[in-house]
Amino acid sequence: MLTILPKTVQHVFIQPRASCQRCYQICRYATWPWSDTSSKPTTWNKAVSDAEKIVGYPTSFMSLRCLLSDEISNVALLMRKLVGTRHPLLKTARGLVVDGKYNIQTRGLLVLLISKSAGAAQNVSHNLSDPDIVDGIHKSQRTLAEITEMVYTANLIHKGVINLSALTPEDGPAQDMEFGNKMAVLSGDFLLASACTGLAELNNTKVVENISLAIGNLMESEFTDLRDKDGKPVLPSSVKFDDWLQQTFLASGSLLARGCQSAMELCGYDNHVLQAAFTFGENMAYAHQMQEDLKPFLKPEEHLQELTLTSAPVIKYLENNKTAQQTLIENMNFEKIVTLVKESPAVAECEQLCIEYGQKAKAALNVFPTSDAQNALVNIVNATAVS
Amino acid sequence: MASVSSRLQSELLKCCRFRQSLKKCLSMNINIIQTRRLASFQNGFTADILQRNPLLVCVCGNKIQSREVRLFSDSALSDNIGRRGDNPASVSPFGLVEPELDELCSNIKQKLTPQNKELADITQYYFDGKGKAFRPMLVMLMAKAINVHMKKSASLLESQKEVSMIAEMIHTASLIHDDVIDASDTRRGKPTVDTLWGQRKAILAGDYILSVASVAIAKIRNEEVVYILARVIEDLVRGEFMQLGSKEDENARFNHYLKKTFKKTASLIANTCKAVAVLAECPDDVVEIAFQYGRNIGVAFQLIDDLLDFTSCDHVMGKPTAADLRLGLATAPVLFATNHHPELNSMIMRRFSMEGDVERARKMVANSNGVEQTRVLAEEHSKEAMYQLSHLAPSVFRESLGNVANAVLTRTK
Repeated sequence: MLTILPKTVQHVFIQPRASCQRCYQICRYATWPWSDTSSKPTTWNKAVSDAEKIVGYPTSFMSLRCLLSDEISNVALLMRKLVGTRHPLLKTARGLVVDGKYNIQTRGLLVLLISKSAGAAQNVSHNLSDPDIVDGIHKSQRTLAEITEMVYTANLIHKGVINLSALTPEDGPAQDMEFGNKMAVLSGDFLLASACTGLAELNNTKVVENISLAIGNLMESEFTDLRDKDGKPVLPSSVKFDDWLQQTFLASGSLLARGCQSAMELCGYDNHVLQAAFTFGENMAYAHQMQEDLKPFLKPEEHLQELTLTSAPVIKYLENNKTAQQTLIENMNFEKIVTLVKESPAVAECEQLCIEYGQKAKAALNVFPTSDAQNALVNIVNATAVS
Repeated sequence: MASVSSRLQSELLKCCRFRQSLKKCLSMNINIIQTRRLASFQNGFTADILQRNPLLVCVCGNKIQSREVRLFSDSALSDNIGRRGDNPASVSPFGLVEPELDELCSNIKQKLTPQNKELADITQYYFDGKGKAFRPMLVMLMAKAINVHMKKSASLLESQKEVSMIAEMIHTASLIHDDVIDASDTRRGKPTVDTLWGQRKAILAGDYILSVASVAIAKIRNEEVVYILARVIEDLVRGEFMQLGSKEDENARFNHYLKKTFKKTASLIANTCKAVAVLAECPDDVVEIAFQYGRNIGVAFQLIDDLLDFTSCDHVMGKPTAADLRLGLATAPVLFATNHHPELNSMIMRRFSMEGDVERARKMVANSNGVEQTRVLAEEHSKEAMYQLSHLAPSVFRESLGNVANAVLTRTK
């Protein structure tokens, strides 16, 4: 699959990180990009690769069409200049083609799965006559899944624009960084514009409105009290758990909830189903973020460095101990923070919340009849919320 | 080259008996016609337009029909459109839509109300009522002219007002992104968003404005309008990408430039004009008139903009503008000047990056007729815009749109 990427794209994205041979293998076995370096598949990997079989193809190359466009290969060509610099765009771009933690294209997969779950509820014999429905998923729903990924990726790229005034000598020449910014702005804009055109072609103004709101929310998530001007997590005084909920909704819940809801809208479901799809997406996002936030506390030996000050357990801890904030911020040592928070009930509370979000997500799926697709969604929720 | 020129000249004499265009084109380097012909062909000028335009007709060798010639001639135009300055108060472009324009900024601000104060400040920064609001003005005038043409009340439909706001919002979002890309410090006499809030927040706030504009587009609840306006966003981005590269071949380069100009500037005007016509439930041919008017105004507007980048520095000594050259961009005056100064070609290819390139290119443009030729091309587009208007029912709004077509040519800043 990778071999059909333009030479320039291959060169820039892949060469610095891994041999093409390796990528090729990963692609062939279709577990990419969730495959860990360890050979033993995790519950998550299995849930996802099973799900991919149900929707008909690996979803990892969802934005491939965009990557193949003239504009993006032009950027790729110019981006060779960035190799060796510290501009975040390089990391993001590499993540799009090579496996890495940036490449969890689950949004699109979830949109496809929920579409198929809903489709199973409709009259099957009627569907068979519609050539736009393949594997129980309507063409427009597949486009929507792609758009969801494009919007997410565009945001990822634009979040990587750096403030030139914040540069330090270690960042290398300012010119390189300025150039990197230029490329980031252009490629992010290109993805957003493609998403807009794709949305227009869906011929449904409610879906356009819903996804546009999600784009707005993604931007708002960078302008909250939990983020500084360079996008780094910061703790405001008297932080509440509601702040975490709001941050998570804006940064990931909104897009997933609205994406799932729009997939239902495209096939003309009633409000009851639209609401259930929204609830599923929203709670799935909370559960996923909670799982990520808990990792440094549950497995500090592997994930300590992933700790952020605005992770749920820290915020929960501070909400319970209002006076502790000063001490915590002064003690920026990750190990100390983990120890401190672990001694409190915060971690257990967060684990409980994670399970509850999972339950809410699964409950929402009850509007659909049992099917392979619905079962795959339940497995993904279980892999997220119960670990 | 000489034989081609003489053949063209004889054909010109044969075909164009109308003074002005002929005089102009003979006084210019004949190459403009060739370049323009190629460029126009490749940019989707319809055969119909080619037939009307004697300059283009003569090089194509088509016969001109007398009816169309009459339409094209200046006197016919002024009869159709109304003489400029007949009644300045009633046809002043901005005056006719003043109440609507006064509301514009506050209405836009009402849409840009995110929870976060800082995001609200950034997104509302340029909607301070001090911008020219050229695009909303044009869209509103077109909407009114079209409403009259359709024998409806001239007053704007709510949805047409929305389109005028969306035009300004998309334009502003693109300005914020352009300023980061071009590393500009000031815009409309104020520091740019990125100098005040940093590049990162500027880009994200630009995206936010775009998302709010998209929500507004969706809420019009008209799929065709959504499609037309999505086109604008795509064109803006593709135009920006086109600016990154230049073509080796000279003719391809001019074509590339015109295409880029359409996408970056004219598409927004053309498609928003088209959208208000669709909302007035016009038949397809009227929708096309609105689009073509906007397209030609947009291209003329940008050509004059590119020209002013060269001429304004002639007057203000010691303060060179030539901002485009500094950004490595070759605009119409430079592209025309390559006929006289072929050595410009290599400078274009290296994007004026060598020491002294910008100054030398500026001098070469000044010593050629690149500026005049750019103006002639802009005039052609302005005339074509006028011609499009002649198909609409007469009204003060149509008259005013005609004045805009003139004003675009005569502006000095």
